Parts: sequence; C-alpha cells; structure tokens
Amino acid sequence: MGEQTSGNTPGEDANIGWSVMSLLLSGTLTWGGIGWLVDRWVDTKVFTPTGFIVGFFVAVYLVMVRYGEA
Amino acid sequence: MQPPIHLLAARAGFEAPGTELFEWPAIWHLELLGVDLSINRVVLLTFLVVTVIIALFLVAFRNASIVPRGLQNLMEIGVEFVRRNIILEIIGPQGLKYLPYLCTVFFFILFSNLLEVTPGITFPITSKFGLPVFLAIFTLLLFVGVGIKAQGFGHYFRNTLFPSSVPPLAWILIAPIEIISMFLVRPFTLSVRLMANMVAGHLILAVFFFGAHYLAGEARTAVFAAGAVIVAVPIMALELAVALMQAYVFTILTAVYLAGSLEPEH
Repeated sequence: MGEQTSGNTPGEDANIGWSVMSLLLSGTLTWGGIGWLVDRWVDTKVFTPTGFIVGFFVAVYLVMVRYGEA
Repeated sequence: MQPPIHLLAARAGFEAPGTELFEWPAIWHLELLGVDLSINRVVLLTFLVVTVIIALFLVAFRNASIVPRGLQNLMEIGVEFVRRNIILEIIGPQGLKYLPYLCTVFFFILFSNLLEVTPGITFPITSKFGLPVFLAIFTLLLFVGVGIKAQGFGHYFRNTLFPSSVPPLAWILIAPIEIISMFLVRPFTLSVRLMANMVAGHLILAVFFFGAHYLAGEARTAVFAAGAVIVAVPIMALELAVALMQAYVFTILTAVYLAGSLEPEH
C-alpha cells in the first residue's frame, strides 16, 4: 500500500474534496446573490461583482481554516 | 477533394432530437385534490424498477446460505460493495445502520440509469428532474436529521453555521455560506449531477440513432448511417459505465454528508 501523506483515510480525503468544492461554489454564489439583491434594491451594478469576489475569498478563507492543516 | 456534404444537405432537414424526448403523455389520467397523478411511461418504468429490485432481493435472499451461490452471490456483491467501499470507507462501522438506505439508493439509481441501455426501453427515468430531486431531498432530510440526533439541535446548527475554527467576527460572513451550502447547494448538485449526466447520455444516443435512421433514408448516405450505428455502440458502453458511476457517486456523496453529520467538523 502506498504512503498517505495526509494521514487520513481515502474516505476522509474524499469528504474533504467534496466539501471544498461545495464551499467554494456556495460562497461565490451566496454573496454574489446577496450582492445582486442589494443591486436590485438600491438600483446599482457594483454589488453583484463585489459579492462574487467577496464570497469567493471568504470561501477560500473558510477552506483554509477548516482544512488547511488536514 | 471536398467531403460530400452536399449529399447530406440534399434532403429536407434532419431535426435533431431535443427536449421532446423527455416528455411523455399521460396514459391514465388521475387527479387527487387538484394534484395531477397521471400515469405515464416514466411512472410505469419507475414501478418496473422498484418491482425488479424487490424481486431480485427477495429471490436472492429468501433462502440465504452461508456460502452464496447464483443470484444470492450476485446480489451480495452489490451489497458488499456498498457496505465495504462506501460505508466502511467513508463513515466507518457506525454507518452500518444506514446500509439499508444506501443500498436502496444505490440499486434504485443504478437500475433506473440502466434503463437507458435496456433494449425496448432506452430511457433513463433519472433524466426526469423530479426523481433525482426527490432522492436528494430525502438525503438532505436524512443527514440533517442524523446530525440533529447525533449532536443535538442547537449544537448541530451552531457547529455548522458558526465553526469554532473561525473567529466570531467572521461568522456574519460565514453563516450565509454555510446555510446555502448545506440546504441548497448540496441537494441541488446531487440532483443536477445525476439528471444532467442521464439527459446528456440520452441525447447523444438519440442523435446518433435518429441520425442513422435519417441517413439510411437514401442509398447515397446509407454508409454514413452504418457508421453512426457503429459509433453508437461504444457510446452505449460508455453510458453503461456512466450509469454505474452516477449511482456510485450519488451514494458515496450521501455517505459523505452522513459522515459529516455524525462527526462535527473541527
């Protein structure tokens, strides 16, 4: 059997992989969606892209905090 | 030398198959309290899949022996695959109580997907969005319920929405992401992944076979019809693999979400 660098079982690694993908997608869509709603409310166009960017980096931060030492 | 495109364009147009492939008229009209419960081909195929699975398990295990043979051996391979490669691998021994549900999901999706390559049927019922959505919602209710039972209502949602590894000041940014991720993105991606794979496979096969039928209409293009049929054969083999893979992916992701509910993330 090959060495496992992470110390996790393959199942735990699979869990981490799917969770990371889910978080990145969710973060981008969540804050992008909130930004879009704010744009509709105040009739601007800046909050949607801002929300997508903020959401993406928040999701990356969440991934790093949760799985950075996995 | 130019390819004989003009031969192909000489006849009145080939209409590529589209979403009409997935619309089936009602065979028996039924309505209950304003809800349309009509029976169409998709419903009948769903009944067929359920009947076949129940029959296989009943016949295989009604007189189960220690040393399995025949159908019992075959069905035990499937059950053991779910037990060993999904449950024990992802959740651990505490996940064995969910073997009935995960086996049900795996076999139901597998047999539903295999209808695509079943002669005389060639339609995967999992290409109808309602079926994957129902399965995904059931999975959502299960892993949320399991999480509440394992960790307590307050602890489960607090651990999920406000991770301890995140500074409290960031909770306002994190909590909406966690809510959307858990209650929307997970079931949505579960269902769309399954449906989209089945829809795409069905459309590809339909293009090849309908195209072959169209090309066979004239002697000049009949050779291309033969080519289309020949190419469709490995694509059907691919669809067989996709059917197996999608059943496996749905089941293993359900197990992953269950594992996450049983063990709070650090």
